[in-house]
Amino acid sequence: MFEFVSQFAPWILQGLLLTVEITLFGVFLGLGIGTLLAIGDIYGNKVAKGVIAVYVEFFRGSPIFVQLFLAQYTVPTITHIPIDPYLTAFLVFGLNSAGYQKGYVKGAIETIFEDQMDAGLSTGMSRAQTLRHVILPQAFRIVIPSWTNEFCSLTKSTAALAYVGLFDLVSAGKSIAHITYVVLPVWLVIGAIYLAWITGFTKLMDIIYEKKKIPGIDLLMQ
Amino acid sequence: MDFTHTIIFLSEGVPLTLSISIISFLAGIAIGLPLAFIRAYENEVSFVVDAYEKIFRGIPEIVLMLLFFFGLGLYFPFPFGNAFFTAAFVLGLRSGANQSQIFRGAIRGVGDEQMIAAQSIGCSKWQAIWHVMVPQVLTFSTPGLGSEYALLIKDSSYVWVIGGLAEIMTRSIWLKNVPPYDVVTPFVFAALLYIVLTFPIALWLDRWGNKRKKKIGL
Repeated sequence: MFEFVSQFAPWILQGLLLTVEITLFGVFLGLGIGTLLAIGDIYGNKVAKGVIAVYVEFFRGSPIFVQLFLAQYTVPTITHIPIDPYLTAFLVFGLNSAGYQKGYVKGAIETIFEDQMDAGLSTGMSRAQTLRHVILPQAFRIVIPSWTNEFCSLTKSTAALAYVGLFDLVSAGKSIAHITYVVLPVWLVIGAIYLAWITGFTKLMDIIYEKKKIPGIDLLMQ
Repeated sequence: MDFTHTIIFLSEGVPLTLSISIISFLAGIAIGLPLAFIRAYENEVSFVVDAYEKIFRGIPEIVLMLLFFFGLGLYFPFPFGNAFFTAAFVLGLRSGANQSQIFRGAIRGVGDEQMIAAQSIGCSKWQAIWHVMVPQVLTFSTPGLGSEYALLIKDSSYVWVIGGLAEIMTRSIWLKNVPPYDVVTPFVFAALLYIVLTFPIALWLDRWGNKRKKKIGL
């Protein structure tokens, strides 16, 4: 019943590799852009805040399928610029994740924000310096649990890749089911692989959070 | 199809999108609320709740739908051969796992004192939970429930992978595949529809929850 696992191991591994690659890339690109958006939302003027609100509302308000199809079909049709499907997928997941991570980073910055900003300014640092050397290093440590959640939901939404023509773990499952006519065991195995990867990564991040967390932060968060 | 027809055709998918999402949302409350209290007050079986949450939060909704519809549907055409049932079933179970965590946070927020107070005036444990805790927990979790509802609206687009349900996403893909192969209006309008469906209600739930929290002094 489960012979297909060894028979099609290369496909499964290839699919898993793309899933992992896109998730990790997306989550890091999302962290970078999300941090910029969070800073813009806190310090920016009205126009910047408005643009950021529209950006976040679009990426958080529409399904990943719609975003992928918009990027894959609509944008090239309007602009007449052909886009590489892999590049598009990488970008969509990064931009999508940024919409969510902006909220997490902003929340983390606001937890430590006010008095420490004043303290930084009073020692003669500029706002940017305080942000860079005092606030962000702490914000990134506080944000780890929400960041882990974001990682899980991003991993799950990468399953949509199979439907825009990329070979991820779900595509591998679809191809195997197609060839072998074995259906239920294939999806059980694919589901188990996702579960193992997500659970394992979450455990790892929990350990990192415990090691890196700011002493006494639990009291502050209550 | 011209522009107006495209828009009408897509809008006709709204009732189905809404009914899938709302049914799964209600199923999620029905599953999540008891699980959260079991997790909070029955330590012996809390590992079962943990396992359930891990499984349904750790497997992509698409894989779950394929598993139940094409996998189990092969052996149990009733009920898993029914696309609507399977979609609501999968999203409901997933939402139950999410909502259990939302409610658990709310139980912690309401605090243990109220449980002790209710029990000290003679309520049994489950009476105290039902009459004292549940109303407050529901109020306390409105922001979380708002985003869970928005998540379900978006995740209802995954039912396209099992086919046969003419909700918004499925309809926009149909329009892509039939002449004149329009790929601009359907996807742009679908995005707008989803944003309109998610945003106002999530915002309203958040506001209502905050007002209510102030009123009952939480």
